[in-house]
Amino acid sequence: MKTILNFEWLKWISDDTAKNIFLVLFVLIGILVWLLPKDYIYEGIENPRWWHNLKLWATGVLAMIFVTYLIF
Amino acid sequence: MLTGIDYFVVIAYLIGMLLLGLYFRKFVHSSTDFFLGGRMLPFWAIGMSIVVSDIGAIDFVGVAGQTYLYGISVGNFDWIGSVPAMLLAAFIFIPCFWKTRIYTIPEYLGRRYNDAVRTIASLTWIVFFAFDLGIIFWASAVLLNTLMGWPIWVSIIATATVVGLYTFCGGLTAVIMTDVVQLIIMFVGGGAVVFLGFFKVGGWSGLVEKISAMGPAYQDHFNLILPVDTKTPFPWTGILFGLTFVMANAYMIGNQAIVQRCFSAKNEWHAKASMIFAAFLKMLIPILVLFPGLIAIVLHPELEDGDQALPTLIGSLLPPGLGGLMFAAFLAGLMSSIDSVLNSTATLWTKDIYEKFIRKDASDKHYLMVGRIATIVLLAIGVITSPVSDLFPGIYVAVQTFLSFFQGPIFSILLLGIFWRGTTQWGGLAGLVGGMMSSGLMYLFKESLFTIEDPFLYVSWWSFVTGFIITVVVSLFTQSHPVSRLYGLVYRLKQPQAEGIA
Repeated sequence: MKTILNFEWLKWISDDTAKNIFLVLFVLIGILVWLLPKDYIYEGIENPRWWHNLKLWATGVLAMIFVTYLIF
Repeated sequence: MLTGIDYFVVIAYLIGMLLLGLYFRKFVHSSTDFFLGGRMLPFWAIGMSIVVSDIGAIDFVGVAGQTYLYGISVGNFDWIGSVPAMLLAAFIFIPCFWKTRIYTIPEYLGRRYNDAVRTIASLTWIVFFAFDLGIIFWASAVLLNTLMGWPIWVSIIATATVVGLYTFCGGLTAVIMTDVVQLIIMFVGGGAVVFLGFFKVGGWSGLVEKISAMGPAYQDHFNLILPVDTKTPFPWTGILFGLTFVMANAYMIGNQAIVQRCFSAKNEWHAKASMIFAAFLKMLIPILVLFPGLIAIVLHPELEDGDQALPTLIGSLLPPGLGGLMFAAFLAGLMSSIDSVLNSTATLWTKDIYEKFIRKDASDKHYLMVGRIATIVLLAIGVITSPVSDLFPGIYVAVQTFLSFFQGPIFSILLLGIFWRGTTQWGGLAGLVGGMMSSGLMYLFKESLFTIEDPFLYVSWWSFVTGFIITVVVSLFTQSHPVSRLYGLVYRLKQPQAEGIA
């Protein structure tokens, strides 16, 4: 029970692999964001401009966090 | 201690905040104006408000102290512990909430499940916020007293008066617009400490070089990922499962004080954009709260208590004049936390309890008055109960622990409610109650169940899993609401031939 609750069953995963799991998570979120329908992103805007594209905003934030975790 | 110019800065800040907040009184004509800023606010103001509400005066000291002891892994709370959750909120939950025109998260739960779920969730938040208010007041006042020598009751009365007046008069608009200025002041004040600190230690490279040379005790200070068997409270498994998957989502999606701001957006795009802009700002917050802890390691390596890192740094780095600015930054952190709690609790009380159970069909003006009275009553409760923290030193930890009791279960029913139309009202109710009970049991037997001293991340994860499983199992054996009732409440479930409804 203690082994399960404290995630000791994941002890075999190295710190580097754990870091890669975090990085893959960011990439996965980025892919999911880009799969969202275009109309859905612009809802509420009458004349969309390129900077209204929230997928770009999200990608920028994800790039920042990806680089942070890549370095540290 | 403060000098004459410091006092001038602080008093100018307090008067400026009061006048700015009172200015927005003229925009409050209805309960929607008071609780949701008339649904007319832009993304940048909401985004800044979300971020500043999340950082209190005590966070400045607490995070710097933990960084001093454990290194940058504390930054996980602002990075992976915020950004993915904020994107999930921005693209999935916020649009859904915004379209349903709700005032509170429990209101969504009431529509999706039933009134029992709504009431339990709302009362839980109200109790938490009411207790938290007094604790924030006292802990921050003690901190300001230690740092600047400002008498405890002067801090409490001064901040309560200013915040109370502008929140009472200007509602959420005043809260958000003062938050904008408060965030700027926090960046300027906190940034001054970081800038002067970096200058003294030889920049980032000098900082890394000096800490790395301090021996094996500091070998993990620049690692965000810590092993499963780390002695710190931040193993990567806890960060991933407890923080990223549960606590962060529960906070950014289920916390009334955060999400209510997005409901005030002028349209759906601004609602989504506010959360993504907040995520960008969140990426920068560790510069203010984390770097001072690292700088203190180099300049003051002898400290026994990590929480002394920032105060010592301020004492040794800031020249006369900048002390007032730092004091204003602490006050900004305190005031932004209090105004958020006040307005959100008043909304929860008025919409989920008063309007639902006490007086159903009153006029809008009546609910506006109830919201304002609730604000004042809560503020009075916060001020009066604040010394309780001094009588019971463990109460701060107890209240924060209480938060982790229900964050996991509440997120489990929010997640299932929005993604699985088969979730039933009884599934949601059983999942919420069962999940909260599992949290209580895990804390009761934490010594025999967990290996780390403070297992709040693991408790959050496992209570989420428990709530999730109970909700699914009970839902499979009970009848769900008719689909017609779920339009707008489940992601991408559209009413036939009706545009603009999710």
